[in-house]
Amino acid sequence: MSVLVPLYGFLEGDTIGLIVLAHDDDPIARVIARLQHSARWRVAGFENARAFHAGRELDPEQTVAEAGLSALERIDVRSAGDPADAS
Amino acid sequence: MRDSAFSPAHPALAAQRVRVPVNAPATLFVVVDTEEEFDWSAPFSRQSTSVTAMRHIGRAQRLFDRFSIVPTYVVDYPVASQPEGVVPLAEFAAVIGNLRAARFARDGAWRTTAAFGALDELRHTHIPLALMHELVRWDRQFDWTHRFYHSNNWVAIAARHCFDELLLTADPIEFAIGTNFVFETGFTNLQFVALSALARDAGDPMFETMVKSIQTDEARHAQIGRAVLEILVKSDREYAQRLVDKWFWRTWHLFSVLTGFSMDYLTPLSARRASFKEFIEEWILSQFLEVIDAYGLARPWYWDTFTTSLDHYHHMVYASAYTYRTTVWFDFVVPGPQERAWLAQKYPASWPALAPVWERIDAGWRESDPDLDFAAHGSAIVTFCDMCQFVLSEGTPARNSAQTLVRGDRKYIFCSEPCRWIFESEPERYAGHRDVVKRVLAGEAPGNLAAILTQYFGLTQETWGRDVQRGNYDWLVRPAKPRPILPGAAEAPDERRP
Repeated sequence: MSVLVPLYGFLEGDTIGLIVLAHDDDPIARVIARLQHSARWRVAGFENARAFHAGRELDPEQTVAEAGLSALERIDVRSAGDPADAS
Repeated sequence: MRDSAFSPAHPALAAQRVRVPVNAPATLFVVVDTEEEFDWSAPFSRQSTSVTAMRHIGRAQRLFDRFSIVPTYVVDYPVASQPEGVVPLAEFAAVIGNLRAARFARDGAWRTTAAFGALDELRHTHIPLALMHELVRWDRQFDWTHRFYHSNNWVAIAARHCFDELLLTADPIEFAIGTNFVFETGFTNLQFVALSALARDAGDPMFETMVKSIQTDEARHAQIGRAVLEILVKSDREYAQRLVDKWFWRTWHLFSVLTGFSMDYLTPLSARRASFKEFIEEWILSQFLEVIDAYGLARPWYWDTFTTSLDHYHHMVYASAYTYRTTVWFDFVVPGPQERAWLAQKYPASWPALAPVWERIDAGWRESDPDLDFAAHGSAIVTFCDMCQFVLSEGTPARNSAQTLVRGDRKYIFCSEPCRWIFESEPERYAGHRDVVKRVLAGEAPGNLAAILTQYFGLTQETWGRDVQRGNYDWLVRPAKPRPILPGAAEAPDERRP
């Protein structure tokens, strides 16, 4: 049974952070898509979106649990790699 | 009703006959009948409240000015109603703060002035409550003048978090530095002079008089702040600096949202005299920095962060709040092409990153039918700062400046480095407070949008915020939609067939 892992999501170009209601078995690619979908009223979708956490890029095929993410951690979704994220 | 300032029976509004001598020269009387836009041939609709034409009234006034004509503007409710007077109960909390100083301050002059301050704040509470109450019969949103501070609305939580600490729990010294010096000397005293002048230009004598009256009190309160700061600097400069740094940032966020929204978005373009940033630079920063320099204090350590915030913060909160407008009790407007050109000119450092957000909002409305409250509107849970309790909208669209912190078994998030610094300076003071997200995750507040609006924020369909034009902007062209073919209807003839 999967476990809910709410994350603080920050999408490049957006004016606000959003809660992403991810599950521990969700692949990072799905988390990225969910954040982009939630922010679609302010930010147009872009290709090659990549997720970062604590200065490292996350593998889109890894699950939330495999990526070592726990509840209420920050992830950043950007169009280009920039490891100097603020978490 | 007879005693009401809005009653036609009120002596100030009673009709008076004008007698003109028989041999008087011809006199031109100009009466401009302003009202909402509607179709005369259509049935009456309560939804016809748009007043976009009023944005251009300044052009007519400039023409009248050229010929020294003083027109009489006749206004009806949709034209006259503006969001104002939303935090009077915070003024009531200031009564408590002043009374604490009136009892415990260490000098007779301070105690006496604070006692007058308490009476002033009581007046500041009652004036907007009384004036806005008259308007409730026409629009239930005005009921929020009273309701707001008692609600669990996210803006009210943020306002209480700041004002309860400053006005209800701080000792007289912190109250004097945070309220009398930083907020009243730094922000509101001069703001009220400017607001009163703007209201006069906009033809709103009620707001002009109200704010002018309050400003005279602010000027007196400000005198307490400087005197206390002068003594505090002599005895404990480091503490004085910390209080200035703390309360400048805390009150900046509230001030930025309240005043930045009004000056850069909700005031018609024709009535704008300056941008919020220009106003802050001319009226606030120059004199505030002069004063702290005179007392030998440094500008707050986060000054670079502040200057970024001045360019971005209220814009980012406004765009975010627009797409969550049903979560508040007042209406929003999408800036049109002329407003965006003005914003681009006034905010060259930030507008290029903000313009795409509004283009996206335009696209959302184009794809939606007008008049829908939830068109171009988010439904995901937004995030809040564990210090200021406002949404996580600091930094820039390219790089949100949110900061995380683990303390014991709890995780915290802050919109900015200064908010994190304030928290870490006194964690025991703030650590137990839960922001809206934590309340949702703890099951104290509902997680879905409709439930949190009605069951937790206290809003109804009648009072929640809307787009003032309901998405019907003349510059927003929607693509023609194919006409639906109703079941059983004959197929349209194809003229190409023989």
